[in-house]
Formats: sequence, structure tokens, C-alpha cells
Amino acid sequence: MRLGIPHIGNLYIPLKALFKRLEVDYIPPPVNTRRTLSLGVKYAPEGLCMPFKLTLGNFIEIAELGADTLIMPGSYGTCRLGYYARTQEKILNELGYDIEMVQLGVSEQKFLGMMKIFKRLANDAPWLKLLSAYGFCQKKINAMDRIEQLTQKVRAVEVRKGTANRIYRDALKAIDEADDSRTLNDIQKEYIERLNAVEKDPDAQPLIVGVTGEFFVVLEPFSNYDIENELGKLGVEVRRKTFISEWTKFSYFLNPLGINENERIHRAAQPYLKRDIGGDGWESVGEKVLHSNEYDGIVHLAPFTCMPEIIAQNIMPSTRENLPVLTILCDEQMTKTGVLTRLEAFVDLLKHKRMMNNKISHKVAVQGV
Amino acid sequence: MKIGIPRALLYYQYFPVWKTLFEELGAEVVVSPSTTQSILTDGSSRVVSDTCLPVKVFLGHVIWLADKCDRIFIPAVRSVEPKVYNCSKFLGLPDMTRAVIPEAPPFLEIDIDINKGRSTLYRAIYSLGRNINKNPFKIRKAGQAAWQSYLDYREYMLKNRISPPLALQHITGEAAIRNSSSITNAGGQKGTIALIGHPYLIYDEYINHRLIHRLEQAGNKVITPEMVASPDLKAAVATVTGGAYWTYEDEVAGAGGYYLQSKADGIIGIMAFGCGPDSLMMDMVRRYAVKLGSTPFMSLTLEEHTAEAGVVTRLEAFTDMVYRRKKADSRVCV
Repeated sequence: MRLGIPHIGNLYIPLKALFKRLEVDYIPPPVNTRRTLSLGVKYAPEGLCMPFKLTLGNFIEIAELGADTLIMPGSYGTCRLGYYARTQEKILNELGYDIEMVQLGVSEQKFLGMMKIFKRLANDAPWLKLLSAYGFCQKKINAMDRIEQLTQKVRAVEVRKGTANRIYRDALKAIDEADDSRTLNDIQKEYIERLNAVEKDPDAQPLIVGVTGEFFVVLEPFSNYDIENELGKLGVEVRRKTFISEWTKFSYFLNPLGINENERIHRAAQPYLKRDIGGDGWESVGEKVLHSNEYDGIVHLAPFTCMPEIIAQNIMPSTRENLPVLTILCDEQMTKTGVLTRLEAFVDLLKHKRMMNNKISHKVAVQGV
Repeated sequence: MKIGIPRALLYYQYFPVWKTLFEELGAEVVVSPSTTQSILTDGSSRVVSDTCLPVKVFLGHVIWLADKCDRIFIPAVRSVEPKVYNCSKFLGLPDMTRAVIPEAPPFLEIDIDINKGRSTLYRAIYSLGRNINKNPFKIRKAGQAAWQSYLDYREYMLKNRISPPLALQHITGEAAIRNSSSITNAGGQKGTIALIGHPYLIYDEYINHRLIHRLEQAGNKVITPEMVASPDLKAAVATVTGGAYWTYEDEVAGAGGYYLQSKADGIIGIMAFGCGPDSLMMDMVRRYAVKLGSTPFMSLTLEEHTAEAGVVTRLEAFTDMVYRRKKADSRVCV
């Protein structure tokens, strides 16, 4: 059996480690290219969203490499993502690939369900082995995300642009090569130190922009033209809540205990959106409300024709909290220049807004004296 | 109290229920007129352009009702079958409408989620009824009457093989609306064309350019999803898609599968541009049609710019193909 899972950010790195330890033949998907997307667009029904097309492209490319078992993450629910596995299996079979599709649902299968799927895929490996392999995989995810978070901060204020990115890329490579927990810890420490040591502009007061929206397009840089990096180049510090480490931590370990990371966000969204509308729509609205004092603006990413995010996009302008939001719809038609132009305009607007606010508060302070 | 009900989205499925419920409780019901150009323009001017056509139409109807009633009824239907959920737009409908039409009167909202159990549903109905009448016994009675009216409505359509507009006319006694969107069974017998899709697309003659009327005028018999019994639809959904995923899928995948297996010379699937569920379901029906290879299938995507001439041309081409095939009685590709 040869196993394949589509790209979601850098998830292939920890998965490689997981399946290596489980002795499963895992084929990491080839790097996303225009070809990947074109393949997806060619064979997908036209009205479907970017995540469907891109993952389908991944699946075709993995199948070309000889994979016969494919895993599609996605839960059953109001968002159509839960139905993608079935449709993609049909499409792949019609294309002549003899594959088995395994749907990895999160909300209905929970941690145990996922482990059972892995157990079956790993030829009934003993539980101890499974858990230790998963633990190592989770560790890699955590290390990756911690370094990425720091990179988001450093990018905005570094003196020589591109230094942080270079360190980040090296870090990913090192994490990928790490074979045991101790090396991993050392790597994490080393790269965090290196990032902290990057020469920074001491006077910089970077704008803070939150990136929110649909899970897949937020996490997969190919689908959003690496928007965080572009914002970093413009001197903006990016903050985002969506990280795979956070997500696994909560949905696998803390939610069953009744701790919900999104409760605060949902409560914030309550006055404007009372119910869960599937996907990440509720969270998008909530984040705008919750962080209106902390952020200077929000970049809201959504795949074209994404139902929950369209609702969120319609609701966001009506909130009392005044925070500029730039919605970027991701699809196969978008171009890098288009995205960059809009980002630059947005950042200019935020700069101006901050300047005006400073002036006003300065005036108030003077009058107060 | 005057309660406004927009003639859009779930109106075609549930209007008798709502009408009975509210009237039993002592309220007056106001329904918006059939969709017009200005209703559609008003609706689409409020939302981002990616919002799907039926929602834009719905918002237009709400704007029309805004100054003509005290409350507007907007349900949030999450689920009407166990473990089968509805599209996001139905869940977010009250909140989204509130956000984009701030001048509208207060809404009457109800959360319908069958997965949360009977008692939650009853409590939801009770708290909806309390807005109009405080007497719990009266609410209970009204609820029962409303459910009965729904059963009557479905049965009436099934028995007489008629479509919602005619059945609604019969039930509500409302005769004034122009009715080229209802099936009159007057059409000739040149061919039987099945229309599949959501009722808010099939029976809104403005947004589908009087599709039924055109087909009947050309001498076709038109059949729709309401004319198939529910168990048959459920079975067809299972064959076509391998198990229901969305609410109101019966109308698309179920009817599509059923009519592909039987008794139709041609099938036209109607969907709205940007519709999430239909983008997958119509494709499933199309795949099934290709697999069977026995009945011609055409899918027609509607949006606010759909030019009438474009629809007419495609209809003519499709029906011509159906007639010729009927004559030649040969196999045809889809």
C-alpha cells in the first residue's frame, strides 16, 4: 500500500515522520505548481472551491507517483468539504486510477477514530507504537508552528528583508531531517535563537494585521500567493489564530474535555451572527469583533464560492467595531499582481488610519492638559 | 400583528405551515408579490456579488416587506432529517438579513434542528409562538394544525400531480397572481420534460425566465420533483450520491435519479450560479446520466445576468434534440 495526503501548508513534514515510524509507504505530494491547480480545475466541477481543485490536483499527482490509498481530511457538516472525498474518489476512478479514498473526519471521529484509521493503514501496528509515532509527529507540528509564529513577527521588522524567510526555510529543512525528539528540541531552540538574533529596526512600530478566513486557504500559501510573506515585506506583523498545532490541540485533546478555544470568539460574534454556519464563517466574524482594538486591520481569505465565508463577508461591515477588512477571494483566476496591488492599497490605508488616530489622541492629550 | 413572509427560498415548501401557524395564533400574514426586476435589483444591491441568486432574491423580498408589516418571519433551518444538514446560507439567513437590511422590522426567528431532539424543536416552536400569543395551549394547537396543513399540502400535490404554485393557490385561495409559473397540464404531448432543482428556482418565473410556461407552450408536458413520492426520492438519492449529505437534496439528486430511471424524455437541471450544494449534486446527477446513457440531461445555471435569449436558445436546442431522439428512438449521448 502506498499512501498519499494532499498539501495543507507544511503538514507533509510531520506526516512524513509519522508514517516513517509506522513503516507505511507515504508519498509526499509534489510541490504545488500551476500544473497541480490546472489538473484540479480541469477535472473538478466548475462551481467548486479552491480547496477541492487544489487537493484534487494533489491527488492526481500523487496517484501518478503510484499511490493507491488517499486520505482526505474533512468533516461531515454544513460545509461541502465533507462531501469532497466521495466526489474526488469518483473523479479519480473515472480517470482510471484504482485508488481507495479514506475520509478523515475530525468532528465525528475524534482522536480515537483517527488513530484507528492510522492503525488500519499501518497494518494493525500496536497502540504503543502508534501513540509514540503520533506524539513525535505532533512535536514536529508544534516546533514548526512556533518557529513560524516568530518568523511572522521578525519579517515585519528585520533590517535586511528576507533574512527571516531564509532562516525559516532552513528550519523546516532541519525539522524535516530530525529523527528523534532530542534533536528536534535542539533545532527548535537553535532556530528561535537565530530568529531572535536577526538585526531588527529598533524604531519600527509595525502595523498588526490579522489573517483569518477559511482554514485551507489560510494555511496553504500556494492558494493565497503567500500573502503573509508579502505582508511581511510591506512591514506588517501578521497574526493568525489558525495553526495546525492549535487546531489539533483543541479539536483532539481539549474539546473532549469541554474546553473550546473558539468560545470566546463565538461569544464575540454573538451579536451579529448567532449560530454556527459551518466552515469558519462564525470565527471570521468573531475575530473581527474580538480583536478590533488589538489589530490595525484584517485580511479575510476565502475561496471563491465559499458559502460560510460569503455570509461572514456580508455581515462583517455591519459590526459596531470599526476595523478595516480586506476580503480576498482565492481562485484559479487570481494573479499575484492583483493581490499585491490590493495589499499595498490596504496597508497604505491602515498606515493613514493609524497616523490620523495618533494625531487625534495627541490633540486630546494636549487639550486634556 | 402583521407578519411578513418573503415569497422566496423555503416559501414554496413551507408556506402553508407558516400561514396556518401564524393565523391560528391570531396574526395576519402578508406575503410579498412575485419577484420583479426591482425586487432583484434591490436585493443584489445590498450584498457582495458572490452571494447566490436565491439569497439576493430573498433579500429583495424582505426589503419590499420592510415597511408593510410589524415582523418578518425568517427561519434558520439547520436540519430536517437526522444527520443531514442544510446549506450555510439557510443557517446564516436571519443574521445576514439583519446585517444588510438594518431598516427592516424585527424578525421572528426559529432554529430548526432535528438532531437536537424533539423537545428542543417543541421549545423552539413554543418560543416562536410566544411572540404572538402567550397561551401555550393555543400554541400547541396551532403547531398541530400547521403540521397537518403541511401533510395535506404534500399529499394534495402528489395526488393531483400539480406543482406548488397551483397547490398554494388552492390552499390559500389566493388567485390573483399571474400564473405562468404553474404547471397547468395543458401542454401537448410532444415530449415529457422533467425539471429538477430547488423550488425557489423552478417556480420563480422571473429568475428562470418563465421556463415552465415556455416548455408548455411548445407542447411539452412538464413534471417536477413534487410529483414523486418521498420514498422513491430517498431511494434515488442513495443510488445517485451514495447517501444524503444535504437537506433538500431530494429535489435535485433524488428527482434527477428518479426521472433518469423512468418516464421522462428529457431532464433539465436548474441551479443557481455559486450554489454550493448544487455544484456537487448536479454534477453527481450528470455523472449518473452519463452512466445510464438513456435520457438526455441538460443543466441550466441561472444568475441575475442570464439573458433571456440565451435560455430560450438552449431550451429550443434541447427540446429539438429530445423530439428527434424520440422519433428515432435511438441511444443518445448526454
